[in-house]
Amino acid sequence: MIHPLLPNQLQKTQETMRMAAEFILRPISRKYDKAEHEPPVEMEQLNQAAAAQKEKGMGDDSVKSMDLKGRNLWAVISLEQMCWGDVGLFLARPGTGLGNAAISAVGNPDQKSKWGKRWASMAITEPGAGSDSKNISTSAVLDGNEWVINGEKIYVTDGDRCDCVVVWATLNKAMGKTAIRSFIVEKGTPGFSVARLEKKLGIRASDTATLIFDNCRIPRENLLGGKEEVEMDADAAKKSFGGAMQTFDNTRPMVAGMAIGLGQAALDMTRALLAEEGYEDNFGASMGQQTAIQYELEMLEAELEAARLLVYKSAWMMDNKMPNSKEASMGKAKAGRIGNKISLKCVEICSMQGFSEDHLLEKFSRDSKILDIFEGTQQIQQLIVARQVLGKSSSELK
Amino acid sequence: MQDYKTEHPFDIAMSEEQQMTWDMLRKFAETEMRPIARDAEAAGRPSDELLGKMKNLDLISLGIPEAYGGMEIAQDATSQALALEALAYGDLSLAMSLSLPMLTAKIITEHGSEEQKKELLKQYCDGSMFHVGLGINNSSIMGNASNSTVSVDESGEELILNGIKTGIAFADEATSFLISATSESGESNLYVLDKDTEGLEITSKEFMGLKGLPLSEINLSNCKIKTSQKLGGHNYSINFQELLDSSRIGMSAMALGVCQAVLDYVVPYTNERVAFDEPISNRQSVAFLVADMAIEIEAMRLMVYKAAALKDIGADFHKQASLTHRFAAHHGMKIGTDGVQLLGGHGFTHEHPVELWYRNLRAIGIFEAGAGV
Repeated sequence: MIHPLLPNQLQKTQETMRMAAEFILRPISRKYDKAEHEPPVEMEQLNQAAAAQKEKGMGDDSVKSMDLKGRNLWAVISLEQMCWGDVGLFLARPGTGLGNAAISAVGNPDQKSKWGKRWASMAITEPGAGSDSKNISTSAVLDGNEWVINGEKIYVTDGDRCDCVVVWATLNKAMGKTAIRSFIVEKGTPGFSVARLEKKLGIRASDTATLIFDNCRIPRENLLGGKEEVEMDADAAKKSFGGAMQTFDNTRPMVAGMAIGLGQAALDMTRALLAEEGYEDNFGASMGQQTAIQYELEMLEAELEAARLLVYKSAWMMDNKMPNSKEASMGKAKAGRIGNKISLKCVEICSMQGFSEDHLLEKFSRDSKILDIFEGTQQIQQLIVARQVLGKSSSELK
Repeated sequence: MQDYKTEHPFDIAMSEEQQMTWDMLRKFAETEMRPIARDAEAAGRPSDELLGKMKNLDLISLGIPEAYGGMEIAQDATSQALALEALAYGDLSLAMSLSLPMLTAKIITEHGSEEQKKELLKQYCDGSMFHVGLGINNSSIMGNASNSTVSVDESGEELILNGIKTGIAFADEATSFLISATSESGESNLYVLDKDTEGLEITSKEFMGLKGLPLSEINLSNCKIKTSQKLGGHNYSINFQELLDSSRIGMSAMALGVCQAVLDYVVPYTNERVAFDEPISNRQSVAFLVADMAIEIEAMRLMVYKAAALKDIGADFHKQASLTHRFAAHHGMKIGTDGVQLLGGHGFTHEHPVELWYRNLRAIGIFEAGAGV
């Protein structure tokens, strides 16, 4: 039955998360935008409060009783609301990073039980390889019962504050993507250090680190998914890198959901500021009957709603065990660019108030940019969609 | 922040029945409509043969009550949107020559008085398609669609209508017209006018698109009608905005069908067209246009589904219908123009259908009440 609507229970989840975003994240939004690199202690308190509630049976356990095939749509909706509050703070919430998504996607049972509850960041990008992740240089060599990791990783979200890092490295750079594996490296391992933290345009509450691996030795069992040797069989090799990339099919709807939450926040705040000057929406009216602002906001709202539905669909497909690579990229492409467009347009609409640090609109417009870059840039998403729609390989459509 | 109430889980899969109807109509669109779209443009109307086949689809009489000769099978808005999308995949003009009588019959079924229903609905079931011309489109630029460019004076014993309506399809075949008019109080309603009403003048008009449909303008000067000729009777008051919103979902569904046709055409074309020794789709500048087309079409589809689903659960759907319509108008035209662009000079000629879709997609967001759910 075609019914792209959220059941009551999911709408309740939305409300709960929105409350948390509004009353816990928003009040400290500006503080940690200013105090870059200072860990937001309130986020730890938020975690404790949530854990305490759960113990008392008061937490949001409603998801367990819901008629859901999976938790992905629920997760996207929750995340959307948290990021309505503050994307940077959400990313800085201790406990879960992108590495956790990788561990839960491809980890074996031992790895899941050992690392599942630890805060795991994800280190892929290098100074010489960003979107082109198969071209990484960080190396992993098996020496006895240990892997020896060498290399430099940049732009690692949570890289400083996490408990462990999922590091992408190559067993043999000459072999290309077939030789790429991911490894779990625990904080404090000799040879592993945080070299520096980036100063950024936005999401300043979240730490973005440069990590150095200098003859860093980790246990053999920390290889995450994939074989210890490079497969010679082309199909098996394809599968192994494809497996690593599949993590993105799971995480892209989440990041896209973040952009939706931020876009909604910008629209809501713009309307609130406009309302003080007597603004009202005029949906569905002709051009001749709408002001430029009414026209602009209606179009932005339409774009946001469209992006939201794409993202919900990609999560719904995950919940229903349908391959969603194309849809995940569609949602990420649309949400990433629209979140950015909306937040910038809202600053423009609100003029000097929008540009001012008296309000958070300018902050949203800085935070939004990264959502169209990380977890696959706009252009990478377009490439993935284009290849699938046109039926092309990566060698045909570069 | 809860906008609507529903216990049903999020879902995007068609029901078995919807899938069957969709497959059937999509095939009809591809085999019966698409091949003769150019002929219909040249003739300015669909062939009698096609009209006969469309009539036999029984989509018009489907929702008409049995008492008036119909099948009385209530169709939800989602299923109707799917049907419209599938038909428009063939050709927008030809699809509208079916969707217009469907919508007109639906409006009369929902709002007509007993007498009006008896008089007008039976003919649909007897095989007539165009005996009632629907006049909703305004001639003015600045006004809202809900404010008619025809005024109605309801103060006297008779109602007096004055003004101009445009974009009325098959006016030549109509024996009466259902015209929207706005009273002094600002309320808009529909009025049934006989074709031979004194002061009613029909002028045939040409437009840049929808050329497979004969379209006309109607000029009303001091047209006097009885109070009982108001749709629903003289005390009836129609929710005109809701009628517009429903039809905007319908027009958006039609836009979706045309856009899908564009995408399905440019994919094989750009894969086969060779320039600089390789298919042009091997280039990102081409491939990314196609990717964006696919993204916006999928988004448009979900927007249409959601608007229709909101209507089906009885929730307020004005905002969603407005957003969907705005989205379909904006991205529909973008897809139309990109479709021509991707074929280059070839796209500009009548050798390919993309220039036809380009002209027809310009109607989305402009042409009101050409289809409804």
